[in-house]
Amino acid sequence: MRNMKLLKTLTWVVGTGFLIILPFLIPTRMHVAVIALYYAILASSWALLAGYGGQFSFAHMAFAGLGAYTAGLIGKFIRFTTAPTGLCTEFSMGDWWLVVQDAGSPTCLETAKAAMPVGALIVKLPAWLDITMGIIVGGLFGLLIGALVLRLRRTYLALFTIAFAEILRTVINAERDITGGPGGLKVDPLFPNGLTIFGRTFEAADKLPSYYVMLVLFLAVLALMYWLVGSRFGLFIRSIREDEEAAASLGVNVVRYKILLFTITAMIAAAAGGVYAHFVRVIAPNMMVIKEMSVVIAMAVIGGMESLLGAAIGAIIIEFALEQLRSDITIGSFSINMTDWRLVVFGALLMITLRFWGNGLIFPIIQRITRRGVAEETVAKRVQPASTPTAEAPVMEQEVEA
Amino acid sequence: MIKLDVNHVSKNFGGLLAVNRVSFQVRGPELIGLIGPNGAGKTTLTNLLSGALKPTNGTIYMNEQRIDVLPPYKIAAVGLGRTFQVTRAFRRMTVMENLLVPALAMHPAARQRQFVEKAKEVAEFLTIDHLLNEYARALSGGQQKLLELGRLLMLDPDFIILDEPFAGVHPKLMEIIYEYIIQTNKNGKAFIIISHDMETIFTLSQRLLVMAFGELIADGPPAEVRKDPAVIEAYLGSDSDKPWEPKRRAKRNGSKIES
Repeated sequence: MRNMKLLKTLTWVVGTGFLIILPFLIPTRMHVAVIALYYAILASSWALLAGYGGQFSFAHMAFAGLGAYTAGLIGKFIRFTTAPTGLCTEFSMGDWWLVVQDAGSPTCLETAKAAMPVGALIVKLPAWLDITMGIIVGGLFGLLIGALVLRLRRTYLALFTIAFAEILRTVINAERDITGGPGGLKVDPLFPNGLTIFGRTFEAADKLPSYYVMLVLFLAVLALMYWLVGSRFGLFIRSIREDEEAAASLGVNVVRYKILLFTITAMIAAAAGGVYAHFVRVIAPNMMVIKEMSVVIAMAVIGGMESLLGAAIGAIIIEFALEQLRSDITIGSFSINMTDWRLVVFGALLMITLRFWGNGLIFPIIQRITRRGVAEETVAKRVQPASTPTAEAPVMEQEVEA
Repeated sequence: MIKLDVNHVSKNFGGLLAVNRVSFQVRGPELIGLIGPNGAGKTTLTNLLSGALKPTNGTIYMNEQRIDVLPPYKIAAVGLGRTFQVTRAFRRMTVMENLLVPALAMHPAARQRQFVEKAKEVAEFLTIDHLLNEYARALSGGQQKLLELGRLLMLDPDFIILDEPFAGVHPKLMEIIYEYIIQTNKNGKAFIIISHDMETIFTLSQRLLVMAFGELIADGPPAEVRKDPAVIEAYLGSDSDKPWEPKRRAKRNGSKIES
């Protein structure tokens, strides 16, 4: 047991250390590395929802989109000023005004600038705050959808979330004046004025700071999810996955925990979407298409749906592999354009995994390590003299210290 | 004292009247057998008691609290626990995790480790302590039934409903289940046990409820129920002189009923 704890700690330290030094190993692949971490957050949180909780949602990318668009729209439309503009929609907040540049008059602030007192400040919300707003919006939508549909059986959730994702994407596509439609929405970088750390200055376009922000989010999310699955919350959601009726008969508030799970994973997806938006700097409704959702599901399935780490590793490996496979393959006089064919390879891998390794490719390896010795322990105990029913049945103590 | 009041409870499924105006009371830690031919409404009645189904008509009170309007998890908290006809262990969770679920659900402020020792005791009592770290899916059918009973011990309800606890169980494990029921009953828990094992149910029960066609046709001590003409006629057939002894088939109204 102690060895296992040591092994787990060692794995975490080595894994985290590897991700920290990764930019120095592959400095030219930073874009792929950030996107890989983005998918790792989405795949592992989807694994928590579907693999641990048994709730098959197809709206995970929609929640990422909600986080991304909330961050983007706040950056585009919301400002704080120290003087009223008189032209935009604005709300007084003590010494400050919350200014909304509505879609009808997008240049109102520019026009009003000339009439504003000298030295009046116009401030954008920092990235971390609009990402936080995105997380809240994602959570609210998650709560609403969860409350609406999670009382019903699983198939309804799948159908409902497909409909929600498509409606959201269509609305964003249609509302060009606000969202930019299919052309996309420009988003400020995470650090618009650049960043200086340990005497080294990074430009706004440098990818390294974004990598570490995504890495911190990834590690924080993974730690949060592991804490959740190790707690009573984890036990309850797994019991719900196994048998809702039996779990309820044993005192588990099934609906409450399903909604809670759905809301938490929606917030995680929204957080990933928010950081992603600031990293790629132009977001489009395409990030929410069903194909993107399928990629996340496939990453989780190939990694192992019942393992957060398995799903995350699966996502990272697959993202790098998919990018690697973009290069054309030439055999003699034949040249294969892998940009299209790589998805065929990916699909085939998914089918083979489902057919032969239902638990994914990474999860069985993790299990082999973490459950090493369990079978031997069972056999060893079994060969001992069999225990017989004791004279007295155990009686539960009613009072348990809090 | 444990009190259960079932008042004129009915349940319709479309045109089918599965339970028809069933009423009975339980006072104290009684050990009650519930028998009846297939389709008599026994499992539907237990689903109504545990909240898995809501009655079309009638009320159910437990310890003066109306429970037929409560969701199943609240009924469990009031003190009514159950097992299922087909074993429903959480298969991809370990035996220990299976045992911890009800204990933690009942004690929201408690920590997991407070119940680990209790779970070990329960597993030892049910002779599945060597399997604590195994996934429930690795257990045999009989061991999974024991695990379900273990979860009830961890839930610690006042009133326990066991649906077919002896079905398909090895005689050795059957002894353990029998022992479980006797011991737990001695500890002050009331039982309703559904079983087609006539010999066991007649021996074990202090009181028998007999259902047929959704109605409660007999309620009393096993010795009286044995002689009840309605039971003999409706349940096992009028030609039987010892209806409590299992028969392979009994004929009633021209149709064959499994005993």
